[in-house]
Amino acid sequence: MVENIALIQEFHQLLSINKAEQIASEYLSKIALTHISQNRLNQCSLLEIFYIMFIRALMTQEMDVIISSPLLLIGELQNMKNVINNLISLNGNKNILILDTKTNEIHYEGCSCHIVK
Amino acid sequence: MNVKFIQNIGEKTIDTFASLYEGVKFTLICIEHMLRPSSYNPAMKMVLTKQIYFTAVSIIPMFVMIAIVFGSVIIGFVIALASEYNLQDKIGSIIITFVINEFAPFFTALLISLRSGTAVNTEIAVMKVNKELNTLIEYKIDIINYLFLPRIIGGIISVTALSIIFALIMLSSGYLFTLFYMNMDFHTYEQLLINAIEVRDIVILLLKSVAFGFVIMLIPIYSGLKTASAYTAIPISVLNGMVKLFIAIFFIEVLSLLLQSL
Repeated sequence: MVENIALIQEFHQLLSINKAEQIASEYLSKIALTHISQNRLNQCSLLEIFYIMFIRALMTQEMDVIISSPLLLIGELQNMKNVINNLISLNGNKNILILDTKTNEIHYEGCSCHIVK
Repeated sequence: MNVKFIQNIGEKTIDTFASLYEGVKFTLICIEHMLRPSSYNPAMKMVLTKQIYFTAVSIIPMFVMIAIVFGSVIIGFVIALASEYNLQDKIGSIIITFVINEFAPFFTALLISLRSGTAVNTEIAVMKVNKELNTLIEYKIDIINYLFLPRIIGGIISVTALSIIFALIMLSSGYLFTLFYMNMDFHTYEQLLINAIEVRDIVILLLKSVAFGFVIMLIPIYSGLKTASAYTAIPISVLNGMVKLFIAIFFIEVLSLLLQSL
């Protein structure tokens, strides 16, 4: 997974492989996921894959990160607050926008993200 | 009836030319990327290193064994035939022409096609079906630079290096057979080869190896890219890719023979 995340910075920022992988590892350690560093996709849970996708999005040069229906992706309704907190701790200066249906509104109560219902 | 028949011929012709045009366009795009210095970023270089390792380095023990067995038998047969027809005075040029210009690059190309050509075709087809190529494009990662170029360049380097190794092994085997059939000592054999070899032979070996390496990777990549979005389409893609690849290899071989005979 580290290689997977690092690829974006190697390509766009022309960072060396070591440097890009170091940055990727730092992101994973922020949310206590260093144990999946060397895992392949089929060894990760849906939630871990979701975080990887989010970190990869943060690696791009785009300023807006749009997440469409995260509950469908991760299937962890009761932990949504933890997920949002992790997303906030990972994010530096990008705008995170979550698109979800109104029926899921309750799961985002008290979240500081911009949520479009 | 006649109109339908002519219509079918017309459709087939248009399809053939359209796919030929697409293929040529893809080839030119790859060459253009190859010439661009910005294509060579750290990620691409890493894939290139791995590609050379998998195509050339990891195959060396098996390749050397095959070269010793097949190379020795064939060079032995050629030398036996030459001595039977009293062509001892031409043996140097016969060995050089046969080994360096023809057999070494051709046989290496066949081996690498069977091993790496199929692997690359399957890999790209699986990536296409799993939509991994789309993901890379979404992240603005140029798939030509990241996926195709390292494979093509790796193929060119690997086929060239392995052709040279194959030629050296065959020339060494050739000495054993000249010793056996003609009682030729090593110094005479060495002089015979040195006198027979020309720069032209080395250039032909290199050019053919580069051409073979290029098509061995390009055609499977292109075939993988054209895979329909279903797992059942993967074997069809590999099958089509391999048929096209072998046609291309034989075409290069015939073309080189024609050019040499001019």
